[in-house]
Order: sequence, then structure tokens, then C-alpha cells
Amino acid sequence: MAALETATSADVAATSRVAAPSHRPTPLEWWGMPVFLLVVGTATYLWISSQDLDSIEARVLSRDVLVERTIEHIQLTLVSTVIVLLIAIPLGIVLSRRWARPAVPVVLGIANIGQGVPSIGLLAVIFVAFGSLGFTPVVIGLVAYSTLPILRNTLVGLQQVDPSLIKASRGMGMSPLGVLRRVELPLAVPVMFAGLRTALVINVGTATLATFFGAGGLGYVIFSGIGLNRDTILVVGVVLVSGLALLVSYLAGMAGRLLAPRGL
Amino acid sequence: MLNRKLIATCGALALTFGLAACGGDDGGSATEGTLEGASITVGSKDFDEQLILGNISKLALENAGADVTDEINTGGTDVTRAALTSGEIDTYWEYNGTAWISFFKETEPIADRIEQYEVVAERDLEENDLHWLQPAEFNNTYALAFPSEAAEELGNPETLSDLADLIAEDPDAATLCVESEFSARDDGLPGMEETYGYQFPKDNVTVLDTAIVYSAADKQDPCNFGEVFTSDGRVSALDLTVLEDDQGFFPLYNPSPVFTDTVYSEYGEELDAIFDPISAALTQEEMTALNERVSVDLELPEDVAEDWMSENGFI
Repeated sequence: MAALETATSADVAATSRVAAPSHRPTPLEWWGMPVFLLVVGTATYLWISSQDLDSIEARVLSRDVLVERTIEHIQLTLVSTVIVLLIAIPLGIVLSRRWARPAVPVVLGIANIGQGVPSIGLLAVIFVAFGSLGFTPVVIGLVAYSTLPILRNTLVGLQQVDPSLIKASRGMGMSPLGVLRRVELPLAVPVMFAGLRTALVINVGTATLATFFGAGGLGYVIFSGIGLNRDTILVVGVVLVSGLALLVSYLAGMAGRLLAPRGL
Repeated sequence: MLNRKLIATCGALALTFGLAACGGDDGGSATEGTLEGASITVGSKDFDEQLILGNISKLALENAGADVTDEINTGGTDVTRAALTSGEIDTYWEYNGTAWISFFKETEPIADRIEQYEVVAERDLEENDLHWLQPAEFNNTYALAFPSEAAEELGNPETLSDLADLIAEDPDAATLCVESEFSARDDGLPGMEETYGYQFPKDNVTVLDTAIVYSAADKQDPCNFGEVFTSDGRVSALDLTVLEDDQGFFPLYNPSPVFTDTVYSEYGEELDAIFDPISAALTQEEMTALNERVSVDLELPEDVAEDWMSENGFI
């Protein structure tokens, strides 16, 4: 129960939002976000095109720079999220077993430290501890920062499975592993995807700091805009980062629905 | 021209004898009390050199009897400039190159120190009613530097032109760490590459936080060359060799105390008398040493400023 207590109201809200609908997504749910992003993107593009850019703005807002920085940002987000999944899901499963219960507060405590430290501080600490710069240390920082939501939601997702279902499955002669694979995990999927969404959004946001540690990303655009006092650059950076965050959140949400067991 | 020589001589004498020798008086007492009754708010930007300069202004003005309000560490360039133009602060030290490129949005710097200063001073007076006092001797501009112990493996480069050979022969060693501003500014990397006719391999340029560039270059990880500021104390503390800008590309960044019209119209003469000898005494060597005490030895800017002012007889 310790795990449930640490779940914030936001997680609970996310849980019910993802878990509740049993019907197929409505057209609005399917198309609302992509259309919104397209409109905002086009509006920004048109606004920038209508501006008389000076040489500094033209340099930072060139197609090459923006494409490269966006790809870097996506790489940072995806690689760190995949690593978090590989770490946090198995760990969450192990911790959800009855015999591992005493370890739960300890592990969640450690994961909480990662998220409790301000993100730029965490990256700086990892940079100092690592003694090097670039992609790897930044990914480690992102992993440390976003492990908690996936770990916690895996744990909560598995713990909320009705114990009578597990008993019944065991009574039907299924092995403990079979119960986990065919009963517990499918029922936990919606909650786990809510955690994935949270982790993705955290990673997109935190990856903006990668530019201070030599790993590129869209933070370059944002902080160039601030440093050079060019609002056009700043706005483009902000639109790209928030668009990316909304997009990955949307994709993870949709994937969670398609993968959730029918009739839930 | 005569004026400049006079200042330089005064500065040299001040350094030699530890007195501000201008007018033959003792420097401290010459301007003491001349600002009695004046009320002046001093600001500065938010990095070490600016904190020292802000404290120098504060001490000089207080010594002259002014009632000084301390707004040192006002913020970044834009915030500090806005504070000055709105009259929230009455003075801070601004660099002529920064005004030229950032405030006036010019893209072509002027190579001569005095000329660059005069154009900026004239324009800022005309457009914004701001008064630029004589510029300090030292120049805090961009430069590229590498760890001295790595000179041999990098082909002993001495000037920025020498980098052309390295880029042609050993492109993998031509790695450069810069801050984001430098990578985008006309007076930064793009213009430098254009002037010198070479380009660092694109994947070899890493954008980092300003403070980390120094240690990254020092450790040669992830780059052999770093973008540095010429008066930064870490250049000498980390034993970095600065490449000479042999084509004179980088703009000059000599700072001047800039005053609002409200204060200058009333006390202009007195302020010139107070600050001109100070600016003349702020040579490259002196400023670098002061910066090193704050950035490397972690002394307080106010202590460093006070030591320097009393050592030079300004207070």
C-alpha cells in the first residue's frame, strides 16, 4: 500500500482517464491533437516567413539547424525512455511480488531522489561525476529523472489487479508466471501507459537542458533566442518543444488504448 | 588623441607610484567630496568581471562623497541595459562592441578601439541621452584557446590563421567548444570562419554552457579548442594558450562607465575626473588578474575591487 500512497492525484487522474474508455476513440480524439499541432505549426511557419529575419535569426532558424536539433531532441527522448522502460518495468514487476514488499519504500525512495533534485542540478552532478560531456551523461540524467513515473505506475498497475482474479487463475492451474503474463500485466497496461506518457513528457522537457552539456537538442534554439534577444528564435524553440511533448503524449496515449485488453 | 595620451600617461604614473598622479594631486583627495549631495544608483551585469567593475564604480563614487545605492548584479545584458535606459540605475559598465552589435544591431565591427568607442558614444548620446565615459584599456573580446600542454599535438598553432592547416591536415583534432551565442552571432563563429576562409567540420563543433567551455577545453574533452573571453581569469589559471586574432576579426569590447543624462548633466566634469584615471589603469593584465581572484580563487568581488582601488590610490 505504500506505493499507492506515493501515487499523486495527477497519476490517479491519468489512470482513470486512460483506463476508463472502453469504446474506440472518437474521431475528435483521433484527430484533435494532430490537427491542433498542424495548425499551430503552420501558423508559426507563416509568421516566421512573414518576418524580416536578420542574419542571426536566419542562421539559427535555418532548416538544417532546426531539423538537426529536433532529431537530437527526439533521440535523447527516445533513447532515455527506452532505457527507463527496460529498467523500470522489470523492477516494478519484481517489487509488486509479495515477497519484495519490504524493499518497495527503499526503491521508491531512491527513485524519488532522482526526481526531487532540480533537473539542471541533476545533470550538473552527473556531468561532474562522469567527467565527460555529450549524449551519454545527458541520457543517464534523463533516465534518473524519469524512472519514477514508470516504476510507480507499473507497481500501482499490478497492485490494483483484483486479487480474486489472480486466485481464480491460480485455481485454474496457471503458473505464477502465466498469471503475470496473461492476467496481471494486461490488466495493468493502461496504468503503465499513463506512466510512460508522464515519463515521455518529462524527458522532452528536461532534454532542453542538454544543450548546456554538449548534447544538442532544441534547448539550443530556446536559449539562443534568450541569449541573443531574438523573440522569433525563442518562439520557434518553444513551439517545437511543446509540440513535441504534446505529440509524444498523444502517441503514447493512443498506443495505450490500442494495446489495452478489450472489454476493460 | 592628446587626451588619450594624457590619460595613458596618468594611468602609467598611477600604476608606477601607486597614486593617481593626474594634476599632481594625490588621487584619492583630488576627487574626494566632489560629488557631495549626489545620489547615484550603480548597477552591473551578472558575471564576475561586471561585479568587480560595479564595485569599483561604487567605491569611486562613495569616495567622492556621493550617496550610492547598490544595484550591482542587476541581471543579464538586456535587463541591465533596460534598467539604465529606464533610469532605474544611473550607471553601469558597458562594452562598446556589445552596444554596437546588440543594441544598434550593426553587423560590421570597427577595428580601432577609440573609433569604435566614439561611434557608439556619439550614437547612444544622440538616440538615448546616455553618456559614455572614456573606455577602459582592457578588451574583453572573444578568442579561441587551447591547453598549452597540447600545443605540440595540435601543430603549435599561434594564430587563428594557423588553424587552417590543422583543419586541412588533421580534421579530427579540430574540435571546438562554443556557447550558443557565439555559434550564432555575426561577430562569433560564422563570421570568424568566413574571414579566415575555413570551416570547422560540422560535427566537431559542440555547443556548451559558457562556464563549461573552459573546463572542456582544459581537459580536451570533448574538444581541443574552446571559445573564451580574453580577460577571463580562467584562461591563465587553466594555462590555456589564446590564439592571436591575426586578421583582427573579433570586435573590440572595451567597457566604459555609462551614465544617464540626469546624473551626467549635473556632475559630468567630476565624473570624468573620477573615472578617466580608473579606466586608464584597468589594463588587460590588471583586469585579468582581478577576474582570476574572483573566478578562480573565489574571493568576493567587493573585496577584490576595494584592494585594487586602494592599492592604486583611488580611494
